[in-house]
Parts: sequence; C-alpha cells; structure tokens
Amino acid sequence: MLEVIEHILAEKKIVFALFSENQKLVQLSRHFKKVMPIEMDSVTTHLLDLFPEFVGNESEIAALYKGERKKYVLEKIGRPNQDGDISYYTFSLTSPKQISAREKNLLLVIQETSNETNLEQKIQQQRYEILLLQSSLTRAAHSSGVTIIGESIQIQHIRDFVTKIAKYHNSIVLLEGETGTGKNLVARMIHNNSTQANAPFVEVNCASIPDNLIESEIFGYEKGAFTNAVSPKKGLLEEADGGTLFLDEIAELPLALQAKFLSFLETKKFRRLGSTLERTVTTRIIAATNHDLQHAVERKEFRLDLFYRLNVLRLRLPPLRELSGDILRMADHFMNIYAYDFKKKIKSIAPEAQRKLLAYRWPGNIRELRNVIERAVIFANEDIIEAHDILLIDHDQQLPEEVIEPVVPPDDLSLHDMEKRLILQALSRTRGNQTRAARLLGLSLDTLRYRIKKYEIQY
Amino acid sequence: MTIEVSKKICMLGSFGVGKTSLVRRFVYNLFDEKYLSTIGVQVTQKKMPPVTLAKKSQAVAFKFILWDLAHIEKFNELIRNYFRGSNGALVVFDLSRSLSIQNPDVFLKPFKETNPDSKIIFIANKYDLVEAEGPVVEEFRQFAKSHQVPCFMTSAKSGDNVEKAFNKLAEMILEAE
Repeated sequence: MLEVIEHILAEKKIVFALFSENQKLVQLSRHFKKVMPIEMDSVTTHLLDLFPEFVGNESEIAALYKGERKKYVLEKIGRPNQDGDISYYTFSLTSPKQISAREKNLLLVIQETSNETNLEQKIQQQRYEILLLQSSLTRAAHSSGVTIIGESIQIQHIRDFVTKIAKYHNSIVLLEGETGTGKNLVARMIHNNSTQANAPFVEVNCASIPDNLIESEIFGYEKGAFTNAVSPKKGLLEEADGGTLFLDEIAELPLALQAKFLSFLETKKFRRLGSTLERTVTTRIIAATNHDLQHAVERKEFRLDLFYRLNVLRLRLPPLRELSGDILRMADHFMNIYAYDFKKKIKSIAPEAQRKLLAYRWPGNIRELRNVIERAVIFANEDIIEAHDILLIDHDQQLPEEVIEPVVPPDDLSLHDMEKRLILQALSRTRGNQTRAARLLGLSLDTLRYRIKKYEIQY
Repeated sequence: MTIEVSKKICMLGSFGVGKTSLVRRFVYNLFDEKYLSTIGVQVTQKKMPPVTLAKKSQAVAFKFILWDLAHIEKFNELIRNYFRGSNGALVVFDLSRSLSIQNPDVFLKPFKETNPDSKIIFIANKYDLVEAEGPVVEEFRQFAKSHQVPCFMTSAKSGDNVEKAFNKLAEMILEAE
C-alpha cells in the first residue's frame, strides 16, 4: 500500500525524506532522486549538508523536534537540474510527533513546482525587462539634453532653484522668459529631479489649442458632453496624474477657463466636461509665459487671483544676451550633439566663429543658437566650425524693433480682419518667415501658426 | 587547525541590479550579459579563505551559504523564512539607475528585525557603466553614509571589488564573534 502511495505522490512530484533526532538521514521515499536529484554518499547524510537551505534555521528545526512548531516551509527553492536548468521546489519540514510518537524524527516533504514557478518567472521576466527598459530610456533622456549648460551666476541660480523646488511636488511653478530661453527644458529638469521622475511629464501649449477645445483637453470629457464626444476621454490633468503638467503660454488660457483652472489649483479637484463626478489628481503644475503676467492682469486679460496662485515659485529665465559667458559653452554642447547625430567629426569652433557668436544679440535666444549651430555643423567642411559656417541675421538687416502701426479701416471695423491683416503684413515684411513674423508681432510661433490656420492665411 | 563554519548570507536588492551576477562572479568567476530574473531563491556555497584572529588561536574558514533572493515587492512571513538565521547581507544597488526607485526599506527593515545582529554591506554594482567618482558615485556614498553602512563600488562584469566586498563582510562577521 505504501508503495502505491509513494508512486502516486511521485507522479505528483512529491517525495519525502526522514531524518533522525541528530538530523541524520534515515529514509528516502522510493522515487526521491527522480524528483530531487541530490548527490549523497555514506558520509553526507546530515540534513544541513544535503539541504544547506536550512543553514541558519537551527532554532526553527529545534522547535520542530520539541513540538513547539508544527511546520517550517521554504518556497520556490531553485536548484540546478541535470539539464543545467533550474528546478524549483517547496520544502516543508514537519513536526515529528505527527509521524511517530516514539521517536523524534523530522519529515522533509519536497514538492517540485517547476512548471508553475517557471511560468511565473517568464511573466516576471517580461515585466522586469519592460521596467528596466523604461529606466534606461529615462536615463538616456536625462543624459541627452535635459540639462542646462553654463557656469554663469544666472545658470547656477536656475540649477539651485530646480534642485531646491523639485522635491516639493505640490508646489506650483511659474517660469517666465523670452521665447527660446529654455522654459520647457527647465520644466523637464524640475520633473526629472523630482521623486515623480518616472511618472508622466505632459506638456501643452495653451496658445496652440483653439479656445473651444482647451477645456476638454485639460479636464477631459464624458461621453455625450458635446456633439462629437462619442466616448469618455481623460484630460491632460489625468494623463499627468502623479507627474507633471507643463502649461506653456499660460497667458493664452481663455479668461472663461481661468476660473475653473484656479479652482483646480486650490482644491486639486475637478470635473470632466459633462460629468458631475469630482476627481482628484496629484499632478504638479508648471506654467510658463513669455508675457508679463502682471501687465496682462492690468489689461484684464489675466485673472489677478490666478496670477497670485501661480506666483508661488517664480523663476525668470534670462535671455541669452545676458549669458555671454555661457554662449560658447552652449555652442560647444550643441556642436557635440549635432556632430554625433550627423556623424561628423567636428571638434571645435574657430576663434573667429566664436567672436561672431559672442557679438550677436540672439533675439531668438538658446533656440536660435541651437539652430545656428545645427546649420553650422551641417555645412562645416573640416573638423572645425569656421566663421562662414555661422549664419546669423545681419545686424544691419535685423528686423526693426518697432511695432507695426495698425491702420483702422475706413468702414466696417472688424477685429478679426485687423488681426488677419497684421499677420499678413508681418509675413510680407519677413518674406514668409513665420519665426520672425511672430517675433515682430510679439507672439509665440505656436500662436502665430494657430492664427494663420484659424484665418486660413496662405502666404 | 582550521574550523569550518557555515554562515548564511542574503543577497538583497531590487530586480536587475546584478545580485545573481555578483554571486556567479564571486563563486564561479563567470559573467553573462543576459538578464534572467531570479524567482524565489537559489542557494550557492563558497568556502572563504581561513582567517586567524589575534584574539583566537584557531583559524576560521567560513563557508558562505549565499542566498540569492528575488526582488521583494512585498514582505510576508514566507519571506521572513528566507531571512531567518542570516549572519549578513549584501544589499545591491544599480549605479546606472536612479537610487530613488531602488528603495531598500521594503526588505531592509524586516531583514534587520529578523536578524538584529547581522552585518550589512551596501554594494553599488555596475560601476563600469558610470563615470568613475562622478556625481552618481558621490550620491551613493552619501546614501550609504546616511544608513551608516559600509559600501563598495563593484562591477560583476569586470569583477572589480566583488571579492573585496564579500571579504569585508566575512571580516565584519568574524570580528563580531
């Protein structure tokens, strides 16, 4: 009968071994070595020699002998098998009193669990590989440009600011600076330096979304909230939950929406369009603007209370012309990046080219410098960027700083028409160069592009 | 005469930090680039060179019973059984990943509770992937200092400092006896 039971148990990959009072092997079940291939000889018969997994558990083993403990289990014990793979087992040491009242024995029941454990390992392997890949991508992102170059006091100040405020995830940040000064980069640095670096970083340019869509973009909507809302959609606040929502050109946020946004900032709660359900997120808000928000408040274009709420941690990013000491460092940095991207062996910038870079006013700031260097790397013939590779807007032909004087039409005054005409004039003056036209109009490039699309301007 | 004493050592740390690679390098002097996640535990043995302490006449040779444990996501009583009776632990970190996502609190606190007298060393593995003595290394040193634990920068790939770290742990255990 015992033989039959042992056979059935072995079929289920369960075997056992009996150990004496001094932990010496007394008996192995009939099919033991088929399930658990162990090396043993007449000398190696001690429990801890055969199963070193129990080393350190001497007090638990003693408790089993004394009957103070009924069972001691070790799960998912991996051991190399004859094929060189790993087999997995569950070891259960049981109280000897349950086996025999006369002798103090220990019964070790071993069950092979390789099938289940290998399946679990495969799932775990995939999950961990994905997490490791995500981690290496984050690291790559960290080391490929999400850092600010420079050693000037202003740049040091930016770095200090980022380091200090990054850990305060609940605090709102307001970044101010001319276009191209790196507001987006600083927002990413704050996110990457925070404890939420692995959570999403979502960015939106408030000027690039039509007024009638921006509320649904930020707050999301429920099915049926409006004509085309065929299914519910998360807003950007929810997409960035746990991470950061970067709202560029916050001054362009429609006045009507500013109250709702302020309410969210105060309570961290909001409702999707068409929903009565109040939702909560832990999204950090970083807002940026190239306008003077205080002036916008004075002009009644921006709510004073929202301005106060945003004005908690405020950082002004200096224009590149104030960072003359760092221009060449940044140029070198961009040169290395583009040389690598374009597989060119550019090693340095010639002194004359350096002088040219230092003499320029950089109205387009760091973005313009990056574009200039990108072009220079492409056109450089040797391993050095020469002065003639640096193409700048000629100082003499630089666009006039004056604002275009608007002309009121003789009849039927229409603000839209005026705006359209001003854009056309600016495009005409800049020969279709949208970046320069935007600068001339005091708009961001995204805003200008949006207006061009809105008014269906073809130039 | 040399006495052989078995000591249970746990390898602890997040997934993919190189616990198994460190054991393979230390025990078999092998390294494999391929990542194979550990599940449960694998036990390996390694005899350490005999050491004679000034205060003791006999030489002691430790046999390290190395418990290469899988990443612990959540602590439970079965995991406590893995920890039980440990004389020491090497807590492994990956220098190429952010320290903030390798929080050791999940397993370190219960490990210390289970084995209050055990000795602990922090290992910053994958040293070959980061700038030598750069900011990442400095950050790790400060991190180990804040935990008041000795630390080693290792590379299971090159073998740098691997043996030193295990030897240091043996020394710490021996000194405490």
